[in-house]
Amino acid sequence: MVPVITRRSIVVAAAFLVGMLVPVLAFAQTKGGVLRVGNLGEPPALDAHWTTASITETLTNHIYEGLYSLDASNRPIPMLAEGHTVSKDGLTYTFKLRQGIKFHNGKEMGSDDVVASLTRWGKQSIYGKALFAQVAEMRALDRYTVEFKLKEKSAIVLISLAVPNNFGAIYPKEIAEKFPPEVKVTEYVGTGPFRLAEWKPDQYIRMVRFDDYKSRGEKPNGYGGGKTAYLDEIRWIPVPEVATRVAQVETGELEFADDLNLDAYDRLKKNPHVQTIVSKPYYWLVAVFNKKEGLMTNQKLRQAWQAALDIEPIMKNVAGGHSEFYRMDSSLAPVEISTWHTKLGGLPWNERNKDKAKRLLQEAGYKREPIRFMTTQEYKWMYDFALLTKQQLEDVGFSIDLQVVDWATLVKRRNNSKEYDVFTTGMGAFYDPTHHIYLTPSWPGWTTDEGIAKLQAELARETDPKKRMALWEQQTRQFYEKVPVIRYGDLFGLRAMRTTVKGFNDKTERIRFYNVWLEK
Amino acid sequence: MAAYFVQRLLAVIPVMAVVVTVVFLLIHLIPGDPVSVMLGPDASPAQIEATRRALGLDRPLHEQLFRFYSRVVRGDLGQSYFLDRPVLTAIVERAEPTLVLTFSALLVAVAIGVPAGIVAAAHRGSAWDRLLMLGALLGVCIPGFWLSLNFIYLFAVRLGWLPAAGYTSIMVDPVAAGRYMVLPALSLGFNQSALIARISRSCMLEALHQDYVRTARAKGLSQRAVVYGHAFRNALVPVVTVVGITMAILIGGAVVTEIVFNIPGLGRLIISAILRRDYPVVQGVVLITAAAYVMINLTIDLLYAFIDPRIRYG
Repeated sequence: MVPVITRRSIVVAAAFLVGMLVPVLAFAQTKGGVLRVGNLGEPPALDAHWTTASITETLTNHIYEGLYSLDASNRPIPMLAEGHTVSKDGLTYTFKLRQGIKFHNGKEMGSDDVVASLTRWGKQSIYGKALFAQVAEMRALDRYTVEFKLKEKSAIVLISLAVPNNFGAIYPKEIAEKFPPEVKVTEYVGTGPFRLAEWKPDQYIRMVRFDDYKSRGEKPNGYGGGKTAYLDEIRWIPVPEVATRVAQVETGELEFADDLNLDAYDRLKKNPHVQTIVSKPYYWLVAVFNKKEGLMTNQKLRQAWQAALDIEPIMKNVAGGHSEFYRMDSSLAPVEISTWHTKLGGLPWNERNKDKAKRLLQEAGYKREPIRFMTTQEYKWMYDFALLTKQQLEDVGFSIDLQVVDWATLVKRRNNSKEYDVFTTGMGAFYDPTHHIYLTPSWPGWTTDEGIAKLQAELARETDPKKRMALWEQQTRQFYEKVPVIRYGDLFGLRAMRTTVKGFNDKTERIRFYNVWLEK
Repeated sequence: MAAYFVQRLLAVIPVMAVVVTVVFLLIHLIPGDPVSVMLGPDASPAQIEATRRALGLDRPLHEQLFRFYSRVVRGDLGQSYFLDRPVLTAIVERAEPTLVLTFSALLVAVAIGVPAGIVAAAHRGSAWDRLLMLGALLGVCIPGFWLSLNFIYLFAVRLGWLPAAGYTSIMVDPVAAGRYMVLPALSLGFNQSALIARISRSCMLEALHQDYVRTARAKGLSQRAVVYGHAFRNALVPVVTVVGITMAILIGGAVVTEIVFNIPGLGRLIISAILRRDYPVVQGVVLITAAAYVMINLTIDLLYAFIDPRIRYG
């Protein structure tokens, strides 16, 4: 008898297979295990309000949560908030909080904790300060409702509450009020899926699963959505020597190694027990001009710098010859921040136009005065791109005084307009146009241009997404005309993990280990 | 005797005052700022200024120096900006790994260096002598960090015999502690064994040319008895002196080894503190080190006076 395959039998077979697979998948995500993560060094603090250091961002996002988070497209989604409403005039935001959320000390989170935490955050964090400049009043309406009254319409309320760096983490009221904004918190109590168990400086930071964690019902989504702590423990081990981090992930002494040198890529790729991860976005390389005083206050000179550059060879060299680790892009927001990524033609980026550069130098009245270009060897990529830039610029008639200092000196000196003309750094992900610090007058380099400031102010007020995008495109064109900084290409980072690590989301800028489990 | 003791003890005070001042000025006069490092790359100058005020770093340097003096005389070395703990606690925590590493490396250096020197001297001019001295030359020339990284690659990554890096206290798990310490001790000790081997060889050669050795040989003693029973014991004194000097060199050399092998010792503590301008930690570590040297010198001076009553101050 010939078996007959009917539609019904296919459906039954499919249902059977799904039925078989579901428990297998559920079983695969088993709880348990210690994940050892090797990172560059010690965090300066575990206070999310207090510092913009990326290591603090990574660590604190496992312990604390904010009212909002970012989804896979880097748009705000609720986290500790249930949701919000906005009044018709756009001046009142009312946030409903989720109920039954416990802090690590057992206390239930309520609106008093939110008000106290955001008040502190608004006085210290760069994002909090920007938001609270627009807030007239914040108050608790009841145990689970918080209201913001704004001075003017604002486009940045949700995104400011959602950014992961220097973020609006909710602490218990007692802690938020005990530590003034300029003093870092040293009692670490949050609502996140992991709680701090032990911090032994230069040895490890131990975070253990918070058993009373109440996850959101949605699926994991970017930095937000449902979070499950499968791991018993995350052990963050500072390993300052990068070659040692590479060796330790190869030997299995670490399950995850962050921030690796690109020259380890080929070796790690050959190891069958290790999976390499190209982390995007990482940084776009940037030379920041001192526009407060000195030679680079001359816009023609800045334009000459921009016209002279041949960016691709610089990027290729910085990326160690690996095309996987750099991207040529003129947009001020990386491709991964899709909402704000621009595709504008005709921008004077990567012009490689020596004649134009020479003409601009002449128009600027430049007489080969040495330009003090400050960089550091502590971040090899910074030194490499500064060195190659110097060569290209001197070919068209610039005189570059490359000053190589340690990172601590660089970050100190860049705040003093008398001490430099240009410095190197990297720009990470900014999730809103108003967050691009190099377009502000307060950040080193001091962009005080009226046209740029006017558009930034409009971007902060305008709430229509289409109009905001048009403004942002206008700002991008203005950026390339006024040249407050030089945008090079996008550089990507290298991470590596053992193949036993499962569920890791490699699409976020910084690492997160909720929803991650270890294969036995 | 009592007057001498008091005099010597009082002399320590100005020495320590100079050390405290020089250390304080050195670290504060080099460029860099702990607050800019702590607050991260995106912090605004206003934020930086507010935190500098909170830490008292906006005060005039002489005022900060005075506060530092007043704390030191009370035995308080201050609070680390980064580690959230008193500097003294941080130093005490880091002392064990550094001491364990230094003694292990010394053991390796002596275990390799002394026998190599004796064998080379006993077989002067032979292939053994040339081979061992070539090894010693290599030991002196090879940079410690290069050797360390290659040891990691060979013994941890390729062969999988030992862990690549890390540290466990002997008190917690002696076996694991031993496994973690093999590669660091070998790479740090190997460099120093070269120096000990060369000194041992020349001391042994000198001893082997003494009259008493010729007499011993004339008596018909075996080569083994002559070398180990007579020459070696007499060559040992300068070797022990060199081993003492090696100990001091090892403590300094441990900095690189601690970083490569991720050992949380004093070397790593001070390097991180310098890089991030954690002033209280740098001041504390240098101060404790200087105080240790001053106290050792004082003890030796006092011992001289005790051993030889003719030695008196001034």
